[in-house]
Amino acid sequence: MAQSAKQRYLFLAFCLLPTFLLFLVFTVYPMLGGLYYSFFEWSGTSSVKTFIGLDNYVKLWNDTIIKQAIFNDFFFVFVKVIGIMMLSLFFAVALTQLRIKEAPFYRIVFFFPNIMSVVVIGILWQFIYDPSIGLVNSFLMKVGLTEWARPWLGDMTWVLPSIAIPAIWAGIGLFMLLLMGGISNVPKSLYEAADIDGASEWQQFWRITVPLIWPQIKTSILYIIITSLNGSFVLVQVMTGGGPGSASEVMGSYLYQRAFEDFQFGYGAAIGVLILVVSLITVLISQFILKKEKVEY
Amino acid sequence: MKAFSQIMVRIPLILWAIIVIFPLVWMFMGAFKTNAEIFTSPWALPQTFNFSNFARAWNDFNIGRAFLNSFFVTALGSILTLALSIPTAYALERIRSKMGEVLINVYLASMMIPAVLGWIPLFFLLMKLNLLDNLWALSLIYAISHVPFTIFILIGFIGNIPKELEEAATVDGMSQYGILFKIITPLIKSGIMTVTILNAISYWNEFFMALILLQTESNTTLGVAMNLLKTKAQYESAWGVLFAGLCIAVIPVIIFYTIFQRSIVKGMTEGAIK
Repeated sequence: MAQSAKQRYLFLAFCLLPTFLLFLVFTVYPMLGGLYYSFFEWSGTSSVKTFIGLDNYVKLWNDTIIKQAIFNDFFFVFVKVIGIMMLSLFFAVALTQLRIKEAPFYRIVFFFPNIMSVVVIGILWQFIYDPSIGLVNSFLMKVGLTEWARPWLGDMTWVLPSIAIPAIWAGIGLFMLLLMGGISNVPKSLYEAADIDGASEWQQFWRITVPLIWPQIKTSILYIIITSLNGSFVLVQVMTGGGPGSASEVMGSYLYQRAFEDFQFGYGAAIGVLILVVSLITVLISQFILKKEKVEY
Repeated sequence: MKAFSQIMVRIPLILWAIIVIFPLVWMFMGAFKTNAEIFTSPWALPQTFNFSNFARAWNDFNIGRAFLNSFFVTALGSILTLALSIPTAYALERIRSKMGEVLINVYLASMMIPAVLGWIPLFFLLMKLNLLDNLWALSLIYAISHVPFTIFILIGFIGNIPKELEEAATVDGMSQYGILFKIITPLIKSGIMTVTILNAISYWNEFFMALILLQTESNTTLGVAMNLLKTKAQYESAWGVLFAGLCIAVIPVIIFYTIFQRSIVKGMTEGAIK
């Protein structure tokens, strides 16, 4: 009996320990380390780390670029939540509820951008916006709107929407699939009953579909928020590097430049902590808002 | 009424399909064009389909090397992810204890924390361990970063397996290791397929970790190599080569996805039913 208990523990250790140890070293330690480094001034090259307490955070508070970056991050969150949710909800309903024969074709095609690397998407769209060889300007000239043509990614006011469009373009497929899964689980009898009662398709959408797939909608919105705050910088870094000026800077791209280009690793770490804090607060607030919506049917 | 709305609904569907496909077609056409053609007729088909842009991207701009590196990192990363996740997922699903619950929550919580926070210490940790610019180390980092997600998905699949199967195997004298590797692992094959496809696609496409952790050009993966190619192409106006490079990065995943997309959808729905 003692032997078998010992064997059981050995088996558990075999299953859990190696993975957990690697996880501690390569995930937990770096995250705690990020917090620790944020209290130092450190160029990375020398072994001299100077403890400066909260100075990096004071510096962050007075940094105008980080304010622009936070604003831009929220711009992307907002535009992506609205754009992706509206389009993917519409497509999900269209592809599940109306009998469209070629639905599988759309399902596969709409997912294509989701499997492409963000670098490839960024470079591709950079050339779609290119002033001399790009599609956008050449299209505008073709249809006679020459005065609308501009260097989209070099334009202070147009750079943010110009990056948001590929971000939405690349996001639709996944959320459409997720919502399609939810919709196909809604009992058909509810729609049949609604048909008999004479409810319009629009009413059925708002009274049946949306409340019943609210869990999927909520998950999708939260997921878009998290991935946007933690991941938009890849597209930004590839397409504009945060420019022109700091017009398209987001927190992540700013961290990368400060740490790995300017070698201010302590300050970069502080930006990392800021990203964590901003993400957690945003997720908590949105969870609270989304929870208040009651499911009624 | 239904027929009318079917036509109305098809318009946005077709429009979006064009918005998705057209840039890809444009990229594909650009890969066969000369610089002059790209400038003068951006919308036209290439005059001749010659593959010299592909050859130049592959050989002169290091895309071939990067392609092989990406392949290595993707394969090794995917295998390591499974090796690390399957035993953990099994132990956590079957042995429900206080400690197990805590462990699950630690793994789940780490998914909420932005990876960016850990970049700087991770960079210096690998530097100290002499593992910078090392494709094996990058694969391991990829694998560990996807362990929480993989465990989360696999637990759902393991939960669907009836416990009686394991009890019967124990009666027959099978060890716990035997049960894990000979009974559980084969039974969650569709779950393993689903996570592995998703993991592989994201390892193939990863950019920033590779940018930070790899240093020499001969070790770069596709994402980093594409970014370098972009800079060089702008400098040399080698636009056709750049488009060819983009195609080389995208075509394998599109083929891979089109083959396996059924099992992704299947896996997603099977895992969800509990």
